Amino acid sequence: MGSALEKAIELILSADAEMLNILSVTAKMSLQSSVIALLIGVPIGIWLGTCRFPGRGILLVLNRTLMGLPPVVCGLVFYLLFSGVGPFRHLKLLFTVKIMVMAQVVLITPIVVGNMESYVGSIAPAVRETAKGLGLTRLRTFCLLVNECVYQIFSAYLLAFSRSIAEVGAVSMVGGAIAWKTNVMTTAIMQYTNRGNFSLAIALGIILLSVSLLVNIVLSLLQRRLSQ
Amino acid sequence: MKRTLAMLLSVAMLLGMMAGCAKDAGTQETPAPTPDEETAAVNTVILKEADDKMLNTYTLIAVDPAAPFTDADGNAVTDVTVNTEGADALIHWLLSQEALDLAANYGMEEYGEHLFYVKDDAPVYDGEITAATEETKTIRLSTTTSVNDSGLLDYLLPQFESEYGYTVEVQSAGTGKAIAAAKYGNADLILVHSKSQEEAFVTDGFARVVDGFEAERISFLYNYFVLCGPTEDPAGVKDCASVMDAFAAIAAGKYPFVSRGDNSGTHTKELSLWPEDLGITAEAESFADYTDWYISANAGMGACLVMAEEMGAYILTDKATYLTFYANDGVMD
Repeated sequence: MGSALEKAIELILSADAEMLNILSVTAKMSLQSSVIALLIGVPIGIWLGTCRFPGRGILLVLNRTLMGLPPVVCGLVFYLLFSGVGPFRHLKLLFTVKIMVMAQVVLITPIVVGNMESYVGSIAPAVRETAKGLGLTRLRTFCLLVNECVYQIFSAYLLAFSRSIAEVGAVSMVGGAIAWKTNVMTTAIMQYTNRGNFSLAIALGIILLSVSLLVNIVLSLLQRRLSQ
Repeated sequence: MKRTLAMLLSVAMLLGMMAGCAKDAGTQETPAPTPDEETAAVNTVILKEADDKMLNTYTLIAVDPAAPFTDADGNAVTDVTVNTEGADALIHWLLSQEALDLAANYGMEEYGEHLFYVKDDAPVYDGEITAATEETKTIRLSTTTSVNDSGLLDYLLPQFESEYGYTVEVQSAGTGKAIAAAKYGNADLILVHSKSQEEAFVTDGFARVVDGFEAERISFLYNYFVLCGPTEDPAGVKDCASVMDAFAAIAAGKYPFVSRGDNSGTHTKELSLWPEDLGITAEAESFADYTDWYISANAGMGACLVMAEEMGAYILTDKATYLTFYANDGVMD
């Protein structure tokens, strides 16, 4: 491990152009997909957690099933849909960062929804009581609820981000791990492992973990400040 | 505030530890051994090489846009986009004298030996090469891991790209998957190394003849697979007259053998080397009786090499991946 660590530090210090490209593609992909998943998932999660309506139970079961969707299955479906012979071939999206983001959003959104739903479900009755007691309008009740959820939204985002930065099955399939274009940290690690270049793969793994650590530290600090 | 400070402090400590580790590693590091040294950390060595049966020929095939493409349900698809001009330009360039010379010398600098040889009967193209236009500038090349992992394309393609303005997007997978990508309309040309699978691709009508060439399959480079195994060589492979005998000896003694098992070109080649009466094919049932020594790994070349090293097993590999593996001491250091 020692020399892999050394290699990792060397790699970062040398600012190798391909390395930087991989890092920027990774950042672009995971930031975009986690933010989109958050924007879609949080409202749906709050809605599912607060409202009672027929069919809610089915939606919840469906969402929980999707939470366990194997990334390779998701990747395969996207691959077939957007292939040169697939129904969406004219969009020419296969092997682009865009389709990687799309596949990731499909994978992550259910996790955000599930995460938010269970939390909101547990605090909603209390919030509703308070709102009733204070005589708040519906809109203000909703604002109060969101305000109560801020901490949880951060957790959900962290979960989404970690999942998307660590994912490999779907992105390697739809992205194709093309150098300078769609190669991300995880697919690069896979490539180097297949080449038998383990120390470089470990070095990339260390960098990936460090990036993840940094993002987590920043967000945790923000989370702490906001919740105070 | 206190918590923030504590957190920052722990991060600083972590970084300090990492730096410390790195320093230790720096002082302990020994120069990487060359393949001839007896002190080598890798116990898996090349036992048989340069046997004609282990010839590994690389072939370029351009994809025909009018091919009988079908979607996942088997319905015919007629309007598949294939960048034929880009594929033509890349094939023309790869077969120009300039590119062939570059390919033939590849590996001399890094490993001190040739990793690829140019076929004597390879067609040489000396005509015009079309430069890129806005529509044709992206070329999708589907190739095998052994080509990509050898670094050959990283070495050749930048020259082509800067000279003619194209961008070559390289996807690499085992030959079976690389060909499947082309059949799904996701590649403009393929560079693979499995004759039987290439011929099936041509027979199925997916290939086209490029201007200036006679056949769909353009075989231009070759090298050799190598049979590796533990230095002790319990099966006595080294003394076998031919590679066929060597494989027979491994099977007779039931010495562990790691197979790629992933329909790659290497896997196809390995299957052709076993004694016929064993009946080993790509199907899992065919080697069900041999699982005590025949290991179908379904993994990449590097991963299989590590497995072989761990188990003291024999393995068929392309030379380029083996040399990288060797240069890295073959272990996760």
